[in-house]
Amino acid sequence: MKRYDILIVDDEQRYATMLANRLTLRGLTCQVRYDGRTAIDIVETDFFAWVILDLRLPDCYGVEVLTQIKAISPETKVIILTGHGTEQDRKQCLALGAHAFVNKPLDIGRMIAIMEQDKA
Amino acid sequence: MDKLKANLKSLYPHFHRQSDEHLNPYYTFQDYRQIWGVGIFFLMATALMPLIAMTLICYQLVNQSIDTESLLRAERLASNSRRAVTFFLEERLAALTFTVNEMGYERLTDPSRLEEVLRNLKLGFGGLTDLSVIDDSGTQVAYAGPFNLEGKDYSRQPWFIECQRHNACVSEIFSGYRDVPHIVVAVKSMQPEGRFFVLRATLETERLIQTLSSYKTGEHTDIFLTNREGVMQTPSRFYEGKLNRLTIPLPTYSDHTEALIASDPQGQPIVMGYAFIDTKIAPTSFVLMVVKKKAGMMKVWLDLRSNINWLLIVSAVVIALVVFLTSSFMVNKMFDADREKARTMVAAEQNCQLASIGQLAAGVAHEINNPLALINETAGYVKDLFTIKEQYRDDPELIEHIDSIIETVERCGTITRQLLGFSRRFDVQIQPINLEKMVSDVINFHKKEAEYRDIAIHVDIPATVPLIETDRGKLQQIILNLVSNAFQATDNGGRLAIRADLNGTEHVRLTIRDNGCGISEEHLNKIFEPFFTTKKEGKGTGLGLSITYGLVKKLHGDITVQSKQGKGTTFVVTLPIHTEKGFNA
Repeated sequence: MKRYDILIVDDEQRYATMLANRLTLRGLTCQVRYDGRTAIDIVETDFFAWVILDLRLPDCYGVEVLTQIKAISPETKVIILTGHGTEQDRKQCLALGAHAFVNKPLDIGRMIAIMEQDKA
Repeated sequence: MDKLKANLKSLYPHFHRQSDEHLNPYYTFQDYRQIWGVGIFFLMATALMPLIAMTLICYQLVNQSIDTESLLRAERLASNSRRAVTFFLEERLAALTFTVNEMGYERLTDPSRLEEVLRNLKLGFGGLTDLSVIDDSGTQVAYAGPFNLEGKDYSRQPWFIECQRHNACVSEIFSGYRDVPHIVVAVKSMQPEGRFFVLRATLETERLIQTLSSYKTGEHTDIFLTNREGVMQTPSRFYEGKLNRLTIPLPTYSDHTEALIASDPQGQPIVMGYAFIDTKIAPTSFVLMVVKKKAGMMKVWLDLRSNINWLLIVSAVVIALVVFLTSSFMVNKMFDADREKARTMVAAEQNCQLASIGQLAAGVAHEINNPLALINETAGYVKDLFTIKEQYRDDPELIEHIDSIIETVERCGTITRQLLGFSRRFDVQIQPINLEKMVSDVINFHKKEAEYRDIAIHVDIPATVPLIETDRGKLQQIILNLVSNAFQATDNGGRLAIRADLNGTEHVRLTIRDNGCGISEEHLNKIFEPFFTTKKEGKGTGLGLSITYGLVKKLHGDITVQSKQGKGTTFVVTLPIHTEKGFNA
C-alpha cells in the first residue's frame, strides 16, 4: 500500500492536473482521478491523507464517493471543492464526515491553511 | 363612513379615465363607456317602453270611454227632459180634453162657468193665463182671463188650422198680440149637430223653462227647445244667434232620443242629445236639445291625465336614475376587476421576467464558474512556478500581472456566487425575530462608516411592533443590503431613517429612507432587475437589489420603492407577521 498526501477527484482534467501541479510544487504527493469509480478503486489500494473531491462527477454524485471513502478509509480527510455547492450540500457533506467545504475558484492559500491547521 | 364614501364613489362612472396605458393589452373589454351606454340604453328601453305603451293605451281607452259615457249621458238627459216636456204638455192637453168632454159647449160658453174652470185648472196645474172657447168659424165666443178679447177671429191662426186637422194642437212659442211668450194649446170637441168648437188655453212658458232648467247639470250643459226650422223656443246660454236662430246645425229627424258628437261654431267638440217631441194627443214642432261642451266633461279626465303624466315622468326619472346608478356601479365593478386583473397580469409578467432572468443568471454562473476555476488554478500555477522556482521571483511585473488575473477571477467568482444565491432555493428557517434588535445589529456594521462620514441614523421602531416569524439570515441580508445601498447613495453628512410600523394586523412595514442622490424615473422600474447598476464599472455587480427582491419574495413579503432624483429614496418592505413553519420559499 502506497501512501500519498492528496488524491484529487475532479472531472475537469486540466483543472485537476493544474491543482496537482501546484500542490506538488509545495512538496505534497498527489494522485489525480477524473471520476468516482477509479477514485474509489485507488482509495481501496493506496492510502491518502487528504482527498479533494468535486461533487459533480461524470459517473456518480460526489456525496456517494465521500460516503464510500469514509467507509473504506475513515482516517482519510475529505475536502469538498465544488463550483455549485449549496448550503444544503454543505450541511449534508459535513454531516457525512467531510472535513471542509470549499467553493471554486479556490484560494490555494486557504486550502493549505486548512491542511496546516489540521496538522498542528 | 369611508366605506359609504367608497360605495357612493363607485356609483359614479370612473372607467373612462384610463391613464394607465401599459395595462391596455390586458383588459378584457376596451371600451367601457360603450358597454355602459349600451347597457343604459337597453335597460331604459325595456323599462320605459311598456310604461309608455301602457300610458298610450290608457289614453286611448279613457278617450273612448269618455266619448261613450258622454253620449250615453247626453242621451239619458235628453230622454229625461223630453219626458218632462211631453208630460207637461200632455197633462194640460188631457185636462182640456177632459174639460170639453165633461162640460160641453153650452156650459163652457157661460162666462161664469168658464171663469170657474180656469180657476180650477190654475189650482190644479198652474201656469195657465186664460181660457177661451172658439166656434168652428174661428170666432172667440167665450173668454176667461185677464185680457178680454171676445169676438176675436182666430180662423187664420196656424194653431187653429192645425187643431181642425188633429183633434188637438200645441202651438210654437210665440209672443202674440200681448208680446209675452206663451204657448197655445187647444182641443177640438164635436157637437151633436156635426159642428165643432175649440177650447183654447194660453200657457205661460216660464213653467216649461223652469222644468228644463231643472235638468241642467254642471256649467257646460245647455238644455233648450227649438222648432224644426232651428228657431229658438226657449233661451239657450250658448247657442242662440241672430234672429233667435240656432247657431249649431239642427240634427236630422228621428223618432227616438239620439246623441251625437258635433262641433260648435268655434270648432270645439260638443256632445249633443236631442229628441223631436210629439205628444200622444197632438204633434208639436218642438225639438229638445241637450248640448254639453266636451271640454267640460274632459276635466276629470284631464286631471287624471295630468296625474298619469306626472306618474310617468316621476317613474321615468326614477327608472333613469336607478338604471344610471346600477349601470355605473356594475360597469365600475367590472372595470375595477378587469383593471385588477390587468395589473396582476403585468405584475406576473414582470415576476416571470425576473424569474427567467434569475434562471438564466444561474445557468451563466454555473457555466462560467468552471472556466474561472481553471483560469484561477492555471494562473496560480504559473505564479507558483515563478515564485517557488526562484528563477523569475525577482520579476515583480510578471507577478503583478498574474496577481491581477487571480484578483479578477476572485471578483468574477464573487459574482457567480451571488448569482447562484439569487436563483437558488434555500431552506427557510422560521424563528421569531425582534426587528429592533436586528436593525440595531445591522446598524452596528455601519457604525464606523457612519461616524466617519457623519451620516445621522434615526431608528424608530415602536414597542407595538410585534416579533415577526421569519428567516433570520434572509431578513438580515435584506436589511443589510438596503442599508448598504442607502449608505452608498448618501453623501457625507446625510441622513438615514429606519422606521417600522404595523400594516394592518397581519403585516409589518419596514421603511428605510435616505436623503441621498435618488433614482431617476427611468431607472426606477429597473432597479430590481439583475445586473442593473448605475455605479461605475467594477464598483457594483447590479445584483444587490435583485437579490434583496428575491429574498423578500421568499419571505412572502413585498418591496416597493419611491424616489425623487436629488431628494432621496425610500424602500418599503412589508413582511407577514406569521409565516407557516416548514414552507419552502
